Amino acid sequence: MKKKVLATLLATAMVAGSLAGCGSSSDTTATEDTAATEETTEEAAPAEEAEASTEESADAADPVANLIAATTDTVTLTVWASEEDQDLTTQLLEEFKAAYPDVTFDITLGAESESTAKDTILTDVEAAADVYAFADDQINELVQAGALQEVAATYTYDVATENAAGSVEAASVDGKLYAYPMTADNGYFMFYDSSVFTEDDVQSLEKMIEVAEAAGKKIAMDISNGWYLYAFFQGAGYGLSLNDDGVTNTCTWNAAGATDVAQAIIDLTASGVLVDMSDEDMATQIAEGTVVACVNGTWRAETAETAWGENYAATKLPTFNAGGTDYQMSSYSGYKLIGVNPHSANIGWAMLLAEYLTNEASQTVRFEARGLGPANTAAAASEAVQANPAISALAAQAAYATPQRVGGNFWSPAETLGQILASGNPDGTDLQTLLDTTVEGITAPVE
Amino acid sequence: MNNFSRVKKKVNSVLRHVFLLLLVVIWLVPILWLFVTSFSGYKGINTSHFFPETWTLDNYAQLFFRSDSIVQYNRWFMNTLVIAIFTCIISTILVLMVSFTMSKLRFPGRKQLMSFSIILNMFPGVLSMIAVYFTLKTFGLTNSHVGMIIVYSAGAGLGFLICKGFMDTISVSLSEAARLEGASEAKIFWKIIIPLSKPIIVYTVINAFLMPWGDFVFAKLMLNSGVATDWTVAIGLFNMLGKSMINKYFSVFCAGGVIISIPISILFVIMQKFYVEGITGGSVKG
Repeated sequence: MKKKVLATLLATAMVAGSLAGCGSSSDTTATEDTAATEETTEEAAPAEEAEASTEESADAADPVANLIAATTDTVTLTVWASEEDQDLTTQLLEEFKAAYPDVTFDITLGAESESTAKDTILTDVEAAADVYAFADDQINELVQAGALQEVAATYTYDVATENAAGSVEAASVDGKLYAYPMTADNGYFMFYDSSVFTEDDVQSLEKMIEVAEAAGKKIAMDISNGWYLYAFFQGAGYGLSLNDDGVTNTCTWNAAGATDVAQAIIDLTASGVLVDMSDEDMATQIAEGTVVACVNGTWRAETAETAWGENYAATKLPTFNAGGTDYQMSSYSGYKLIGVNPHSANIGWAMLLAEYLTNEASQTVRFEARGLGPANTAAAASEAVQANPAISALAAQAAYATPQRVGGNFWSPAETLGQILASGNPDGTDLQTLLDTTVEGITAPVE
Repeated sequence: MNNFSRVKKKVNSVLRHVFLLLLVVIWLVPILWLFVTSFSGYKGINTSHFFPETWTLDNYAQLFFRSDSIVQYNRWFMNTLVIAIFTCIISTILVLMVSFTMSKLRFPGRKQLMSFSIILNMFPGVLSMIAVYFTLKTFGLTNSHVGMIIVYSAGAGLGFLICKGFMDTISVSLSEAARLEGASEAKIFWKIIIPLSKPIIVYTVINAFLMPWGDFVFAKLMLNSGVATDWTVAIGLFNMLGKSMINKYFSVFCAGGVIISIPISILFVIMQKFYVEGITGGSVKG
């Protein structure tokens, strides 16, 4: 008996030890981060001075020429681009090297997904790449950690005016531009099979469900994912925003009348036609023909196009009815940006390279090669871009979309809410209580 | 009475086997799924069928013969193998030496040192991860395979407990006899203890090989440059599961998972016969 007690005590001690360990290790990271920020401010200062001096002499000569003249050694740079972007980026890097034949480059290309860039970079900012791609929702934390060099001056084109206003706003923090917009298509909209739905059908979600039910098919949406669930609540006018501290949220999803929205989601999914489905399952079921319409983003365009052929179509999100009123579904608009690490040894060249990777020509090439919507206004205005169903659907949805600015506490309560609503509120919880609990979780302070 | 107990025995046996069968199913189904999916003609995850609809060997061909920026399996395999082999050699030697010292030699503070190292070994290595990372960074050993070998094998000596327990069973009279004949401690270690410790050497070797072979956490932290040619298999395979790639590479990932188990199986088959051979019982006469 004594032995058992001892064993239990030891086990508890070990568990406690490992938990405490987790705490302390994240503390270490936090301290490291602040340390890095301090260092950054120190290091960034001379860099900005250098920038300023370049600017001063810019009146007399071309800043790029100055940069080349000031470079004597080999320019070593690391670039991170997503796996899907590797081939394209390799090609662009070659062109970049060719554009400046007088300079010896040693550019290493690494793979890092835009969606996880922040996690990797914040582990150790100094070890991160000089130039990297990331999704715009990470910008606040990256700036706070001193992982982004402010775009105070440009070499080849004016980043702020040549890109769409929304993308520039997404690349700025407190009015200062911190990154170069690369694509403007990180949002979602409605894909549909036009042999099932007519253009009129897709105007309203209720109508779509009716048509799909008659055809014996399904409509898919990842309702149990806060990113998509947002479409309903924001559409009906219940807000969610990030507070000034950059980490906590303000949320009115439990305001008077919001239960109508929750009830609407329950009703919409009750038929079994609108299904809560993860992205991976959607890919399978679109290919198999069970799903004939889905709320998703450009990354699913290829799957849908292959499955539906010439019937492949895309449009803005439909309206939905809550409490007797039709609301247009909202969405998140997202951008992919390229940032420059202030710890870079060759900050001038890093910025020039970031400009090169995001200029009009590169954005056009990126659209042609991968079908990604350009942030550059001139590139986006081209006929080929306009004719792409997914990109034009995004453009149509843009009027109802908002940039993704939300603190980390949003996701998990929203996921729970989505799951409960999509499964028809199986416990019969009072909807107001349910929303109150969710909002409490979303707006909880961050420790 | 006799008849009744026989029936009871039979029922018991059936129940026991049904239970075991259930465990086997639970345990094997995921592995079977991984295995059959590695032959799937469809590249993504197909959750509506257990067995693939079309069968192909293409996933394996893609792993080995069609390297692109995402699948560089040969390279990763070599990296992992090199790291694992060096770690295996270094840590096996360390473990055996420490065990010998603790088991056969008598010196002041031996007990205390032993308790201390056992307690130290109880702390999960993950705790010190960040500290290890920044220490190695100051020496410029991050993103290097040498650094990884150092990390994997450095603390190996602390895992002497099981090996020491085995050496304790080897009779002291053997080493005493050798000492009387004028053998040095090194000679006792190499000529007497090591040949008698085959089963535990096998165990140590397999353990020391498995650790770096399957490790993900340290590898992910250390190899953070994003350069795919430096990666180990674990990171490379993990990378294929990214949101945008999983639907194009899932079956390739499964194939990679099947292949990674082969070296371990080979190592085990080679080493297994020593388990049987290494019986020390009869070595002391009278």
